[in-house]
Amino acid sequence: MSGATRTRLIRSNTTTAVAVAAISIGIAAVLFGLGFAAMFELIALTGTLVGFPTLTLLGALLVVQGGAVVTFGLGSRFSVVETNPRPDAGAVAAVVFALVWFVGGGIVASQLFGLGLVGWLPAALLTGGVGFAVTVLPGEDIGSTAPAGAVAVLTGLVFLSDLVGAQSVWGLGWEQQASLTAEFMIPVLTVFCALLTGWAAAKAYGGFGARGRRAGAYLLIYLNAGAIVTVLFSLVAFTLFKGLPGLFRGVAVGAGVGPQSTISLFGFGFSFSLPVAWPFVMNGVGLLNEFNGVLPAIVGTFWLVVGAVLFAVPLGVGAAIFLTEYAERGRFTQVVEVATNGLWSTPSIVFGLFGFAFLIPRFGNGKSLLSGMLTLGFMLLPLVVITSREAMLAVPDEYRDASAALGVTKWQTIRSVVLPAALPGVVTGVILGVGRIAGETAPILLTMAGGVFVPGSQTANVLGGFQFTASPPFVANPQLLEATSALPYQLYALITAGVGASGNVGNPDEFRWATALVLLAVVLSFYAVGIVTRYYFRRRLNYE
Amino acid sequence: MSEIESPQKGAETAQPRQTTTGESDEQLRAEWTDYDFDGEAKLAVEDLDVHYGDEHALKGVSMDIPERSVTALIGPSGCGKSTYLRCLNRMNDRINSARVDGSVQLDENELYQEGVDLVELRKRVGMVFQSPNPFPKSIRENISYGPRKHGTIDTGLLARLFGRSDEESEERLVERSLRQAALWDEVKDRLDDNALGLSGGQQQRLCIARALATDPEVLLMDEPASALDPIATSKIEELIHELSREYTVVIVTHNMQQAERISDQTAVFLTGGRLAEYGRTEQIFADPQSQRVDDYISGKFG
Ligand SMILES: Nc1ncnc2c1ncn2[C@@H]1O[C@H](COP(=O)(O)OP(=O)(O)OP(=O)(O)O)[C@@H](O)[C@H]1O
Ligand SMILES: [Mg+2]
Repeated sequence: MSGATRTRLIRSNTTTAVAVAAISIGIAAVLFGLGFAAMFELIALTGTLVGFPTLTLLGALLVVQGGAVVTFGLGSRFSVVETNPRPDAGAVAAVVFALVWFVGGGIVASQLFGLGLVGWLPAALLTGGVGFAVTVLPGEDIGSTAPAGAVAVLTGLVFLSDLVGAQSVWGLGWEQQASLTAEFMIPVLTVFCALLTGWAAAKAYGGFGARGRRAGAYLLIYLNAGAIVTVLFSLVAFTLFKGLPGLFRGVAVGAGVGPQSTISLFGFGFSFSLPVAWPFVMNGVGLLNEFNGVLPAIVGTFWLVVGAVLFAVPLGVGAAIFLTEYAERGRFTQVVEVATNGLWSTPSIVFGLFGFAFLIPRFGNGKSLLSGMLTLGFMLLPLVVITSREAMLAVPDEYRDASAALGVTKWQTIRSVVLPAALPGVVTGVILGVGRIAGETAPILLTMAGGVFVPGSQTANVLGGFQFTASPPFVANPQLLEATSALPYQLYALITAGVGASGNVGNPDEFRWATALVLLAVVLSFYAVGIVTRYYFRRRLNYE
Repeated sequence: MSEIESPQKGAETAQPRQTTTGESDEQLRAEWTDYDFDGEAKLAVEDLDVHYGDEHALKGVSMDIPERSVTALIGPSGCGKSTYLRCLNRMNDRINSARVDGSVQLDENELYQEGVDLVELRKRVGMVFQSPNPFPKSIRENISYGPRKHGTIDTGLLARLFGRSDEESEERLVERSLRQAALWDEVKDRLDDNALGLSGGQQQRLCIARALATDPEVLLMDEPASALDPIATSKIEELIHELSREYTVVIVTHNMQQAERISDQTAVFLTGGRLAEYGRTEQIFADPQSQRVDDYISGKFG
């Protein structure tokens, strides 16, 4: 403190104290990471880590960390370290620490001393009050370090002592809940203490005051963001590792090893052999196949999405143009808005049922690719309308005025000014919508058939299916009326078929994960296409 | 349209050295509607009233704007200059709450009647807005936007396929318009850059160039030089002077000297949406009829 009333403009460079605070932040980050790793069972609590039993290591780190934080607070208090603390640590911190200490005190009283409700409640209230007072009364430096550090030290000591082992069921007085095992609680506690002490250490690093608070907030935000990104990547990585073996089974590269392919359009075609053989994505399931694959489902999903987008985007954008540019804003547009929002939240199985009852009888009375496309198209439609409308409303009226003042008609203005400016928003909507419909299972189940193991003969050849006919409409495509499969449905069928059903697929579990991976890849590649498109339009507009 | 006077009286008497009573108002009006000019009236405005919802923004304005001349509109902020300007090409129709009563005639054709083709009207009466509003397109596209949509130049796919493309005339048009607006030298090397990347003053000149490119008969300019440095301002003033040989220019400005320099006649609006005085610029600045206009011009209020 040293009586400094205003923050120095230039901070003196790394002093020992600042270095200690930085190291303390580092320990917090390590603890945070370890906690998460333990939660996802990447490290075993019963095992050892760098030579020490994991639990002991965690406990020791927590004690050291807590001690360091408390020491820093005391050092600041007794002016050993130069800081700019405020009179108190703030209301949010006070409430949080009071709660933490209330819970901590309650646990200690009930578990350690075996007090009943009458005993532990006053104890918890007392410790909660102490936590609150310590946070609020002695000044920001003590207030934000001592309560956090003490919690960490306490937790570390519990880990170090024999009170809990990695195997023990966490006896919180809720024994009936078997799920609260040490395996779950220890990582959670570790992460929690890491957040508390990390925040305190970051504040200390910033020298408390406004700068310290900023540092504390940054730390929490960064740790959170890091955790979320990690979780998302772990999901993808998990699918990737499980799916890769099945995906690449039987891959061969070399001239002519691939399956015979025919490219044909309107009856003309030529055949060639691909230089790559990738059975999982190039084969269906068949008795004669050496390796089986999910080609029909991949092709089915691709055409489903393409068909749904081709159906929904023109209609949806057209409706949005009418609603924003032509319709008088009022009761009518409000009703339409509510209706579209409602449609977007309608469960997909309802759309499926609609397709089943309405579309299927009209398209040859059998499940077909076309019914699936249209059903998903109907599902996509409301989102396209909503996002296109938002995007067009966001186009500044100045552009419209400028265009009108130049003597340009409304329709030309919409085409040349409003739509281009709204396109990135429209594309965003389509991307989101495709993400949803590409993974839909229920509507496909009812409208497009599928199966556990889909033979290669069910691969839809939409391009090659176009035929000239003698009568109007002169072009027909029977392929669209065939039943076929899609990835999410096949995955669902594979899972519900149970472990016993293996068909002639060597390893059904591998086959399943590989299917999931392909589904993920297909959806992500649709995303990628959408994002590149949006980027292109944005660049052209210099928008954002 | 004549009962509009009474409620506003109270507000106006609050002004110091008030001379405009109901009668002298009438007298003044008689004087300036008699304002005589050689040649035709390009625009004839009669008893124009504009309401925005309950707000009476323009009150009984009548003034004839002569052909091939520069008319300056001056007056304190919020007195209705932009509103008046927007009546001349019916841009007020685009504001939901706006209601316009009265008559505006362009070449003796009534604008406020059924069946007026607004698109055609705005081709003939161009406008530069108070705040620059370029499209989020390239500089070139901004300029050629109007002519392309009017079909005067055609660079579409089919035109290019059949060799009818007007790319050369487009180039010439872009260059001429940008030169007129004193912007060419600054942007000639980056015509394909996005116009939103230009500075505020450059955007303002781009909007002038864009309006010129459609070749209107009447050009309405709402403070076209408000964000310009003295050099660009003098170029724009030169341009306006040039234009007035062929076009009719109506310009709003807050700069008295500018109004005095460039305009043939000046209209002074005063707070409340009333036209206080209208006449030859020299006469308005040298010998204003009303005390309030004198005060405003000499900077005593407004
Ligand atoms: N779109 C609108 N909706 C409602 N009221 C408006 C609108 N535009 C202008 N007004 C009102 O009409 C009056 C005149 O406005 P106008 O924009 O014509 O003033 P101005 O003379 O151009 O002022 P400035 O010199 O500041 O541009 C003001 O009181 C304003 O509040
Ligand atoms: Mg204005």
